[in-house]
Amino acid sequence: MAMKGFTRMFKPLEILTEEQVEAIHRGILDVLQTTGVRFESKRALKLFGKNDCQVDYDNMRVKFPPGLVEECLRRCPSSFRVKARDPKNDLIMGGNTVYFVASPGMQTVDLNTWEPRPATKKEYYDTVKIMDALPNLHLFCCYTPYFGFEGIPEVMKIPEGLAAKIRNSNKFTWSCFSNDCEIFNIKMVKAVGTETIILAMMASPPLTYYNSAIECAFRTLEADLPIGVDTGTVFGATGPATIAGSLVTYTAELLAGIVLIQLIKPGTRTFIAGFPHPQNMRSGSPAFGDIGISLFDVAFNQICRKYGIPCRNTASAYSSSKKMDFQCGYERGIPAILSAVSGAQFIHVHGGMYGELAHHPIQDILDDDVAGMIGRFIEGVEVNDETLAIDLIEKVGPIPGFYLNKEHTRKWWRKEQFVPKVADRLTYPEWINSGKKTAFDYAKKRMEEILATHKVDPPLSNREEEDIERILKEAREYYRKKGLITDEEWETYKKVLR
Amino acid sequence: MLNDDILENLKKAILEYDSEKAANLAKEALEKKIDPVKALNVMTEAVRQVGDGFGRGELWLPDLVGAADAMQSAMPIIQKEIEIKGTKIETLGVVVVGTVFGDIHNIGKTMVCTLLAAEGFTVYDLGVNVTAEKFIEAVKKYKADILAMSALMTMTAPEQRKIIAILKKENLRDKVKVMVGGGSITEEFAKNIGADGYDPTAPGGAKLARRLLNK
Repeated sequence: MAMKGFTRMFKPLEILTEEQVEAIHRGILDVLQTTGVRFESKRALKLFGKNDCQVDYDNMRVKFPPGLVEECLRRCPSSFRVKARDPKNDLIMGGNTVYFVASPGMQTVDLNTWEPRPATKKEYYDTVKIMDALPNLHLFCCYTPYFGFEGIPEVMKIPEGLAAKIRNSNKFTWSCFSNDCEIFNIKMVKAVGTETIILAMMASPPLTYYNSAIECAFRTLEADLPIGVDTGTVFGATGPATIAGSLVTYTAELLAGIVLIQLIKPGTRTFIAGFPHPQNMRSGSPAFGDIGISLFDVAFNQICRKYGIPCRNTASAYSSSKKMDFQCGYERGIPAILSAVSGAQFIHVHGGMYGELAHHPIQDILDDDVAGMIGRFIEGVEVNDETLAIDLIEKVGPIPGFYLNKEHTRKWWRKEQFVPKVADRLTYPEWINSGKKTAFDYAKKRMEEILATHKVDPPLSNREEEDIERILKEAREYYRKKGLITDEEWETYKKVLR
Repeated sequence: MLNDDILENLKKAILEYDSEKAANLAKEALEKKIDPVKALNVMTEAVRQVGDGFGRGELWLPDLVGAADAMQSAMPIIQKEIEIKGTKIETLGVVVVGTVFGDIHNIGKTMVCTLLAAEGFTVYDLGVNVTAEKFIEAVKKYKADILAMSALMTMTAPEQRKIIAILKKENLRDKVKVMVGGGSITEEFAKNIGADGYDPTAPGGAKLARRLLNK
């Protein structure tokens, strides 16, 4: 048993011709061979040197022979299983399975002013609980729902966030790295018998890997965990302004990361991800919600299929809107469905506001309907004797024939239709009589209901809870000793922990 | 080329975002014994024009960065000559700018640098991934009126707090105003770490610098 997710039942959308895919692939290999990638790690450079790469140790630049890149791509499994705390939430990564992932958000938003503010610890835990209850949200990303909560030191944000997700949900969660926190993340997931995918090999575009990402990759592989390779090109800033050019640098960064992983440990369960954006040429921020993201993602998904590696579309449903409004709806709905029909295995949809600058549980609930609707679409049209219903059509005939009272209708309508949980689907009279409510109003009510009734099943055992707390304590001591939690921060932190 | 033509072309090179031409014209200006302060003024005027165009929504970020790059390529040549001559230049103040250690985000910081220069400040751009030591050294060396630090990531934001602490330890805190910015910074965080000012936008940052120095 595993998390079902959704299954795409038709050929994926392709916007590149075979010749275009080949030209991009050749471009990627060219860049890897002639420009190369900077790896700020002596042990990585040594390993590349031993495996026929041309290594400039002074400039930390590695140039890759195309044969090695292709060999390392072949070593990546095209699909694999990762373990959640509850086996029914295990994930099957790859193929036609599509999962919806929660988006991160730096802060929460105040619903009266729509301004961002830090989330409290209670809001963090409550939001995780709400997300646990949503049927179309299949897993958590790192930094979800929020980057952290009020009163915790920067270095504890990732470990505290992971602990909150382990405590308040059974769903699978990715994690990340910063200041060695992967040491504690690995211990926590092992303590509760689950796995995590650490987005360890995170490139810093253009064409660079810092030592912290590489060290995290070594640690992840030592712990025998699957690994995520990630980058975050901004077209016109950290990559070329053209989509084709940025596809080349972006994918070259990912492939260089894959080579390192598959050299360290051949056959490692690897998936690739990224955060592509055009540059907002006014503010300098990423242009969240730009259609260029979809052009990029759909082409990228096509290239990933050629390589046979599961992939994630991160920015697919990021909107620039600061409110849960019309813009927010179209800027996430259109790109999310394009990602789903073009073959991404993981799509970020839930909860994010203004890119990943904020998150809100009501947005999670609204987005769960978006995910459900897209999920239903990709499951396609089932055509067989029973769905064609020729015998039934013959039986019912013309008027006064009628289908509503037939068993076939009772059996099939729920499979064929997607019934949203919070969309307004009332008739005008019903709508007027019930107070002219919107999807937002229904989502707010659903949030209250979930908080009042939802229970994480099964909860952590006492031993598991003790282990999590012990590991967090160890992390706090580690960072205190390293001077990364100041006395002032520690005093505030202690109040939050009470 | 006449001296006035050289200066006019230097200005034009910046307005056309041509770094190589700007640097060559700066050299030529000095060879022809043109007053380096005059060269500095035309360059500042060019950047101001681009900054104004950006403010009006007619020019875009690639224009702003293009002008900044062209100015940066000519600036050291001119500045060196000004230092040799010991000329005192008119400036609203000296600002040392950089993105903190561990953070390589460049765009916001470059925007602020360009708009500060357009306002009439003397700007020393230390680049990205700047260590605390380098910030302190630059504050001392250039006798900075303002230290402006950028951090985009939540994990690198604490570096700003660390640098303010070092300024205090070295008895420099009263001599320099500190302004902070970047995606992960909030008003509350800025207050909390003891910065003198924060603004979420680059144009706002340039205005803030004026306010901090009462200019």
